[in-house]
Amino acid sequence: MDFVQTNIDGLLAGSAYALLALGFSLVFGIMRQINLAYGSSLLVGAALAVWLEPILGLGVVGLFLLTVVACVLAGLYVERLCFAPNRGKTGATVPMIASFAIWMQLDEVSSHLLPSRTHNFPGLEIPPMFFGDLYLRGDQIVQFVVAFTSIAALYYLIYKTRFGLLLRATAGNAETAFLLGAPTGRLRLMTFLLAGLLGGISTFLILSADGQVTPLFGLWSTFKGLIAMMIGGVGSLPGAVIGGLLLGLIEAHSSTQFGAEYRDITTFGILFLILIIRPGGIMGVSAYQTGRLAQERI
Amino acid sequence: MSVYVASILTNMALISFLALSAYLVLVVGVVSFGQQAFFGVGAYVTATVTSIYGGHAVTGVFIGMLSGAACALVLAILTARLSGLYFAISTLCFAELCRLGLLQVRAPFNIDGRTTGPDGPEGFSNIRWIFEHNYSVQDFLVLTTVCLVALLGLLFLLERSRIMLRARLVGQDSILAQSLGLRPILYRIVFVTLSGGVAGFGGGLFALFNTYIEPNMFGVMLGVHGLAYAVIGGLGAPIGPLIGVAIDIGLLESIRAISAYRMIAFGGLVALLLILLPQGLISPRFVERMRRWRKLFHA
Amino acid sequence: MLDIAGISKSFGGSQVLNGVSLHLRAGDRLGLTGSNGSGKSTLVNIVTGYIEADAGRVTLDTVDLTNRPAWKIARAGIRRSFQSARMLQSATMRHQFRVEMNTTTQGLAAIDAAGLSPYLDHFPSEVPLPILRKAEVVRALVTEPKVLFLDEPSAGFTSEELIEFADFLNAHLSRSTALVLVEHRIDLMRRVATGIKQIGSARSLEDLEFEHA
Repeated sequence: MDFVQTNIDGLLAGSAYALLALGFSLVFGIMRQINLAYGSSLLVGAALAVWLEPILGLGVVGLFLLTVVACVLAGLYVERLCFAPNRGKTGATVPMIASFAIWMQLDEVSSHLLPSRTHNFPGLEIPPMFFGDLYLRGDQIVQFVVAFTSIAALYYLIYKTRFGLLLRATAGNAETAFLLGAPTGRLRLMTFLLAGLLGGISTFLILSADGQVTPLFGLWSTFKGLIAMMIGGVGSLPGAVIGGLLLGLIEAHSSTQFGAEYRDITTFGILFLILIIRPGGIMGVSAYQTGRLAQERI
Repeated sequence: MSVYVASILTNMALISFLALSAYLVLVVGVVSFGQQAFFGVGAYVTATVTSIYGGHAVTGVFIGMLSGAACALVLAILTARLSGLYFAISTLCFAELCRLGLLQVRAPFNIDGRTTGPDGPEGFSNIRWIFEHNYSVQDFLVLTTVCLVALLGLLFLLERSRIMLRARLVGQDSILAQSLGLRPILYRIVFVTLSGGVAGFGGGLFALFNTYIEPNMFGVMLGVHGLAYAVIGGLGAPIGPLIGVAIDIGLLESIRAISAYRMIAFGGLVALLLILLPQGLISPRFVERMRRWRKLFHA
Repeated sequence: MLDIAGISKSFGGSQVLNGVSLHLRAGDRLGLTGSNGSGKSTLVNIVTGYIEADAGRVTLDTVDLTNRPAWKIARAGIRRSFQSARMLQSATMRHQFRVEMNTTTQGLAAIDAAGLSPYLDHFPSEVPLPILRKAEVVRALVTEPKVLFLDEPSAGFTSEELIEFADFLNAHLSRSTALVLVEHRIDLMRRVATGIKQIGSARSLEDLEFEHA
């Protein structure tokens, strides 16, 4: 029963990681760029929401909406400053570097908004459920349900709408798509908005389950999102979901086996091994450095 | 010179080692989020050599440098086949593993009635070499500056060599480099190893200066700062990263109105600068132009 | 010397090359032509190691170079130019040649003949295109390669520049180097090549009737 309980805990936590990973994967899968400011943009969103909430006096639902909107706006800021300016000549590295400068910036903005080491984040008052010996936290169940509803909605958007078709067509071939007349600028904007939306939802779910928001959330969510994305396969949307759930499972099991202290070491250790042995992750994305042409025409 | 000013200058010099190590990696065309791990390894090794084994600071820092280089070499070889993004993430992974690993290392020693040695999250205290040898802050500043200048000298010589030209070619246009018979992975391994040595050296000096180190000092944000300095300062010459350091710790810190919001200003500055000058202030092009100008001047 | 046998390549569903075979001897001057997108550059990219062939072999003097990394192939003595005249953009022309080990006197003479002397302290972006193309050729010739692939070198040339380029090639290509000239423009090929093949609809090589000028 312990085994099943651990798995359940892992999957519940993993659903939130899946959303974070999707945020990274969307931007990389479609624009071939890594937004390292993603985690801290979510932190800033949460910080803004927590900071504004007492002033506006909204309830939990209001806070949820506020968090999501703030995260989306923060994501927009990052997109405009780091990724939108013409990068044709400089490739993917420069925007990534700009994004980690903004990572530093937004982290400090958050520390100013949330000066204490921890701030209260209202939780969803939902009673836990019991199935025989199994214990399920109410708010984590909600987290799971909301996460998967979002994922389902994303699936519909990406695979069943014309907009999604445009996104998939652009995926990894932004230059060609541009030449064919696809509005890549707008598509990138929408991609970031989507990532911000998913991230905002995930942020609210994670923080309300935790009951608090700390300045470390930026780095924490960056790590979780990146690791989950790498496990599943960079840029792959199904991979992000699988990676997120797997990450949750790995963490839950290593916590149970080795204690909470060794949880992070296990996670990073596994990721490092994956990178050395099968960097393409579960979905087997191509990752090796080759002299071969990837997309460039020479 | 006041202790306060000497302290700041020493810290600037110490972080310059980290920035220079980031520079060496960027020049060869990859991004590393792990330089802080080599810095930290250098720090811990130097602390161990001087505090536990009573070694001289010079020995300690040199062994620290070699340790940093060794770790970097191992990492570079393990990740040899990985392309850009995967390499970057693997450096981040590696660095976090080092930090988390150090948090578990508890080997306290009692020397001369004081507790020293690595003690997990409690850190490594009482790195007393500078006290035992009567080094004031100003003295240490001189020592650090001399080391930094020596390093710059070596890098300056390296800049003029064919190795550096080829490394830059590998970094800027790997496809062209290969068509000329250059093997990119070799350059990556060499320069990452060099960068590990430079970071390890700086870390060793840092441990001596700070007299106390703990694993959480060597987290991702430290490495990201080093990268930012190299990027904003420019990859054209080793002076570039130093200018980056000077802008942040020198300039922004000294403007009182900004200093509380230093990272907000600096982060924004880097992002804005990259829009205008993607290769930083002292870009390779800029350096060539300077050389050309000087030539015309003399002619 | 260079033996290309049965090279096939398809991208997605479309077959670009099918059973391309070619044999080059020292001193051969072969023109390679075909319509846009016919796979000329693909063939060059495969032989020089930038794309993997689906099938076939590439052998240089009995050494198997099929699908080897590009740097290895370059070191084995197969050099190439690129459609976009690649240079180290952040360095002056002088340094473009420093990358190689041996700059022979013949090489230095060629640099001069290419008209590069006034531009040695200029960046590649400041050098006129015909001279840049010659510089690419010189950079390759300095290593005395066994085979040289030139990928559409005349793109952007006027007719006069093209004739001048042809003369330059004829003057400086050593008799031991084999040349494969991938080109559209017949006048360049006529002046330099001794034979022309084309990638036809069968996606393999066909001989083409032509007169050397």
